[in-house]
Amino acid sequence: MTIPPTTDTVRDPDLLDRPLDTDAAGPVAPEKKSFSLGRLLAWVVTGLIMLVTLFPFYWMVRTAFSNGSTLAANPGSLLPVNFTWGAFQRVLGLSSIEDARAQGGSGASIDFWLALRNSVIISLVITVGQTLFSAMAAYAFSRLVWPGRDLVFGLFLAALMVPPIFTSLPNFLLIKNLGLINTLPGIILPFLFMTPFAVFFLRQFFLGLSREVEEAAKIDGASNVRIFFKLIVPMSSAPITTLAILTFIASWNEYLWPLLVARDASAQPLTLALGIFRSQTPGGSPDWAGLMAMTLLAALPIILLFVAFGRRVVNSIQFSGIK
Amino acid sequence: MKRSRRSFAAIVAGGAAVALALTACGGGSSDTAGSTVASVGGAQTAAAGGDVNGTIEYWLWDSLQLPAYQECADAFAKKYPGAKVNITQYGWDDYWAKVNNGFTSGTGPDVFTDHLSKYPEFVNKQYILNLTDALKADGADKDIYQKGLLSLWTAQDGGIYGLPKDFDTIAMFYNEDMLKAAGYTDADVQNLTWNATDGGTFEKFIAHMTIDNNGVRGDEPGFDKANVKTYGFGQENLTDGVGQTQWSPFTGSNGWDYTNVNPWGTQFNYGDDKFAETMAFYKSLSDKGYSPTIDKTVGVDTGTQLAAGTFATVFEGSWNTSSYLSKGVNLKIAPTPVGPSGKRASMFNGLADSVNAASKNQPTAVKWVEFTGSQECQDLVAAQAVVFPAIPESTTKAEDAFKAKGIDMSGFTVQVKDGTTFLTPITDHAADVTALMAPALQAYMGGQADASSFKDVNDQVNALFK
Repeated sequence: MTIPPTTDTVRDPDLLDRPLDTDAAGPVAPEKKSFSLGRLLAWVVTGLIMLVTLFPFYWMVRTAFSNGSTLAANPGSLLPVNFTWGAFQRVLGLSSIEDARAQGGSGASIDFWLALRNSVIISLVITVGQTLFSAMAAYAFSRLVWPGRDLVFGLFLAALMVPPIFTSLPNFLLIKNLGLINTLPGIILPFLFMTPFAVFFLRQFFLGLSREVEEAAKIDGASNVRIFFKLIVPMSSAPITTLAILTFIASWNEYLWPLLVARDASAQPLTLALGIFRSQTPGGSPDWAGLMAMTLLAALPIILLFVAFGRRVVNSIQFSGIK
Repeated sequence: MKRSRRSFAAIVAGGAAVALALTACGGGSSDTAGSTVASVGGAQTAAAGGDVNGTIEYWLWDSLQLPAYQECADAFAKKYPGAKVNITQYGWDDYWAKVNNGFTSGTGPDVFTDHLSKYPEFVNKQYILNLTDALKADGADKDIYQKGLLSLWTAQDGGIYGLPKDFDTIAMFYNEDMLKAAGYTDADVQNLTWNATDGGTFEKFIAHMTIDNNGVRGDEPGFDKANVKTYGFGQENLTDGVGQTQWSPFTGSNGWDYTNVNPWGTQFNYGDDKFAETMAFYKSLSDKGYSPTIDKTVGVDTGTQLAAGTFATVFEGSWNTSSYLSKGVNLKIAPTPVGPSGKRASMFNGLADSVNAASKNQPTAVKWVEFTGSQECQDLVAAQAVVFPAIPESTTKAEDAFKAKGIDMSGFTVQVKDGTTFLTPITDHAADVTALMAPALQAYMGGQADASSFKDVNDQVNALFK
C-alpha cells in the first residue's frame, strides 16, 4: 500500500479517486467514474450530514424573514411566515415603534451600528494584542534559554486548568478600581495580553522550527527581537493566522465578560445588544424574528472570515497536526 | 409584576454570586459596596429638599412601557428645567443581574423599577433609600393609590421604599376559536368553578378543550393522553415557591395563604394540608392529560404555545396582555375560576420605583419617583394601554384605553372590584425560599416526591427565619 508522498499530490483531484491498493493493479490506469453502491451511500451520508448541519442555519433565515406576530401560529412552516423585511428593519433601527410592536417586536430600539463598531473594535484589538503577545511569550518559552523557564511554563500551563469563571470576579474588581466599567478598554484588557492556550499552541509549533536558521541569523548579529519578527513570525504564519482567527471568533462571541462590564449601549458588543430581542417581561415572548435577523447579521462577519480564510485555517490545523 | 421565570434561578444565582463575592472581598472599595453589610433598622433616609437639576439614570425592564415613561421623562424635564431623566431598558432576563451588579460596583442607576420580591433584600442591605421623610417634606399625597398597594412598599422599619406605579392581577387567556369549536360561549367561561374532589366545571371545561392527535376530546372515550395535540390548560414550568401565574389562583381560591402574616411573615405554610390538596389537583390536570406534564414545560414560552394552538387556555398576568393579544390568534380574557372558598382569587402585585442609596443626585431622584407615582405620569402610562396604573382614576383611563383597542380587561379588574385579591408574599430570604421550593415542587410534579414532602421542605423554609 502506498501513501501519497506529499500533501501536494493529494490536491490532485485524480489522485483522490484512485484506489489506494495500487500494488495489485500495477501501473495505475485512469479510473472510470463508475457507479458503485458505496459511492452512492457516501454521497447520501454526506448529503444528510450537510442537511443536518445547514438546516438550523436555514431555519434562522426563515425565521428572520417571518412576521413575528403570526410566526407562532404557523410553527411548522418551512417558508417564512408572512414574508417581511420587518425584522431586519427593526435590527437596523429603521422601523417605528408601532411597526415593531405590530410585528411582535418591543418598544425598545437598538443601535446596531454602534454595537457592530464595538464588536469590531473589541475583537480586532484583542486579536492583534493576544496573537502578538502570545507569540512573543511562546518564543521566550520555546527558543530562549533562561533560568526557571520550564517551571514558569509549568505554572503557566496550570493556569489552563482554571475555569474562566474563577478569574472573572478578581478581574471585575480590578477593572472597577481602574475606573474602566462601561468602557471598551474595560472589556478588552483582560483578554488583551495572552491566554495560556494561545501560548501553549504557538510554543508547540515554535519548538519544531529549525535551529540552524536561527543560529545562522545569530552569527550574523541579529538580535532576538529581529529574529522573532524576521524569522520566527514569517515561518509560523500559518499557526499564527489560525490562532488569530480563533481568537477573533472567540472575542466576537464573548458574552459573560461584556455582560458584567458593559452596561451602557456605548460599550455593548453585538452579543449583548441582542438582549433586546429576548423576552422583556416575565412570561413575555422573545421577538424571534428580530433575534434571528440580528443573529444572522452578527454572524455575517464570521462567515465572511471563514470564506476568506477557511482553507488556510484547515490547512494550518492539518499542518500543525502532522508536526 | 411577577417574580420568577425560567431564568429566575440563574439571575438570582448570578446576582447573588456577584454580590456575595463583592461584599466578601470588597472591604477596600469605598463607595456604595462598602455599606452593604447592614442590619434592618439603620436604614438610610433620602435627603429631603435640595435643587432639582442634573441628569439622573433610570432603569426599567418592560420595553412596552418604555415609550410611556419616556413621555413622563419629557414632562418631568418640562416641569423642572435643568433636570433630565435618562432611561435605560433591559429585558427581564438581564435586568436583576444588572441591578445587583450596579449596586455592588457602584455603577447602578439613580432610580430603578423595583419588584416586591426583591426589595426586602435591598432594604436589608441598605441599597435603597427610605423615602418617608422626603415624601413628607414634599407633601406627596400617599393616599391616592389603589387600596393596599402602598403598604406593600412599606418595610418592617415603617419606611416607604417605593411609590406604587401600577398593579397587576391574573386572568385566564383563552383561544376563542377553539372555545366556539368546542361548543362553548364566552359567557360560559366567566364563572367556572373548581374543587379538589371532582375538579368542578373548570376541569370539565379544560377536559373538553383538550384534543388528542386523533381528534378525540379529553372527556370522550378513547382519549389518548400520551399524544395530545391541544392541551385544555397550559401550564408553566415551576421555578419558584410563589406560582404567580401557575398555581396561585388555585391556592388562593382554596383559602390558603403563603405566610402567617403578610407582608413580613416569618412562617410559611407549605406544610398545610390545603396546599397539598391544591397541588394534588394541579398535578392531576397533567396526570389526566389536560395539561402538559412538567417535562414538557421546561423552556416553553406559554404565549407562543397559545398562539401555536398547543394550549387552549393559560393563566397569565395583566402586564402581558398586549403582547399576548398581538399573536395572530383570537384570544380573549376570562377571570380565574372560583374555588372551594366560594370566591375566585388573584395575586395582587405591583411595581414601584426605588432610589439607589448610592445616587449622587438624591433630590432629583426622589422628585422623579414622586413624579412616576403622580397622576400626571400615570395618566400618560394609562393612555398607552399596557398596564394598570396604581391610581384608581388612572386605572379607569387605562381600562378605557384598552377598550379603545378592543380589549376587554374586566377579567383582570373583577378581582379588584370584588376584593378577591391577595398580596404577593413579601418576606426576607425570598431567594432562599425559591432555592428550596422550586426543586421541591418540580419533584412533586414530576412524580419523584409525594405531597408529604412539602411538610419537610416547609420546615427547611421556616428554619431560614430562625
